[in-house]
Amino acid sequence: MKLCIETAEPCDGEELRTLLIDAAEQLLGAGNALLEAKLPWDGHPILFADASGHPVLISFDPEQGQSALLNGLRTSEQLASALPWINQVYEALAGRQLPVRLVVVSRDYPPGSRAILSACPLLTLFRYRILNINGETGLWLERMDDASDTPRHDDASDTPRPEPQPALECAPEPDGGSTPPAPGAALPSLSDEETAFFQQL
Amino acid sequence: MTTQLSPVWQRRPASSDRLARISARFLSDTPDTADNADSCRTIPFLLDNPGQSWVTHDLCRVLGQRGHKAVLCHLDEPWNSQQRDLSGEPGTRTEGSQYCLLPVTSLETVRAARFDHLVLLVPASLSAVRTAYRRIKALSEEPRPEIGIVVVGPRDQHAAWRYFRKLAVGSLRYLDMPLLNLGFLPEDVTPEHGPVNHHRKNFLARISERLVRSGFYLSATDRSAQG
Repeated sequence: MKLCIETAEPCDGEELRTLLIDAAEQLLGAGNALLEAKLPWDGHPILFADASGHPVLISFDPEQGQSALLNGLRTSEQLASALPWINQVYEALAGRQLPVRLVVVSRDYPPGSRAILSACPLLTLFRYRILNINGETGLWLERMDDASDTPRHDDASDTPRPEPQPALECAPEPDGGSTPPAPGAALPSLSDEETAFFQQL
Repeated sequence: MTTQLSPVWQRRPASSDRLARISARFLSDTPDTADNADSCRTIPFLLDNPGQSWVTHDLCRVLGQRGHKAVLCHLDEPWNSQQRDLSGEPGTRTEGSQYCLLPVTSLETVRAARFDHLVLLVPASLSAVRTAYRRIKALSEEPRPEIGIVVVGPRDQHAAWRYFRKLAVGSLRYLDMPLLNLGFLPEDVTPEHGPVNHHRKNFLARISERLVRSGFYLSATDRSAQG
């Protein structure tokens, strides 16, 4: 079969929302669950749970990367402060109180993104293009990799990308980034109130 | 008009009792006598990881340079949960020394030894602060030790204060345990600097002075009442 790929006209926000929800596995890996398709905050981001139980906020804007990032950061902060409540509401989070991951999708990476990315292990940035593949609309996602100087261009097709794992690996464990305690020295767990208090400085 | 504090800053109702205990302690404090001035004072440190052992090593050296002869002692870890007599632990090595710094990495050791004073080395990250809080929580059952904090690796004084404040407010709010700020070692002070580096020595000197001035060491009864 002949494969005909060409760029398509930019889409609007609602069309992009649908495409992003369809591409959730590429963005978040397998085993994710959609929690809210349209949150009632600026930019109306999407809320998912990933396979490990992190709440994942997808903030997007068809054109403005800066707006997508700022809206995402603002909503992340609100979600972080309401984490105990969110864990009660959504069963997919399994009550693990894990910190919120933020995924920002826009036509271009937001300005200063490399510096922001290196400081925020729970942030993942994607840029997108709308493609027309044999008459079907498809979404091409390119993830900004903070380990390399230039974004990768080797996967410009509708082939699913490898799962975006690094952000997940960088996410702090409940024990923190310090050396795990010695065997036998089990540390007490934190209450909801304590967890929320130590969520941020 | 009533003023409401943020819940974070409100003490638990029991804090008035604690204030009374603290007041009593200060009223009954007496200066060093000839009896205890000659004895070696043990300062236990709970390290976040073994890689922090350079801190106690250099503190020991700086204490000595400032006229407080100090020796570094080590325990065989990990201890089990049984309480253990500490009175003979440092042994004859401490003879003639004013201070004995005792770095440990296991919480079990701290619990078994029932230290009444403990310095916690806390890396400058939110996750490490959380781990330190959980360690403090594990130690918050009676008898509660007095805990001093040294923040290791913050960018500057302001960052160090933010990490300490987070930990101190959390401990006071949820555990009713006040923490003592013993200072910090900024990120540009590293083991690679070498102990003669002035910048590094300044920060270590501040910590050693606070330890000495605040009398932050095991009480004599604590070291002999185990077992």
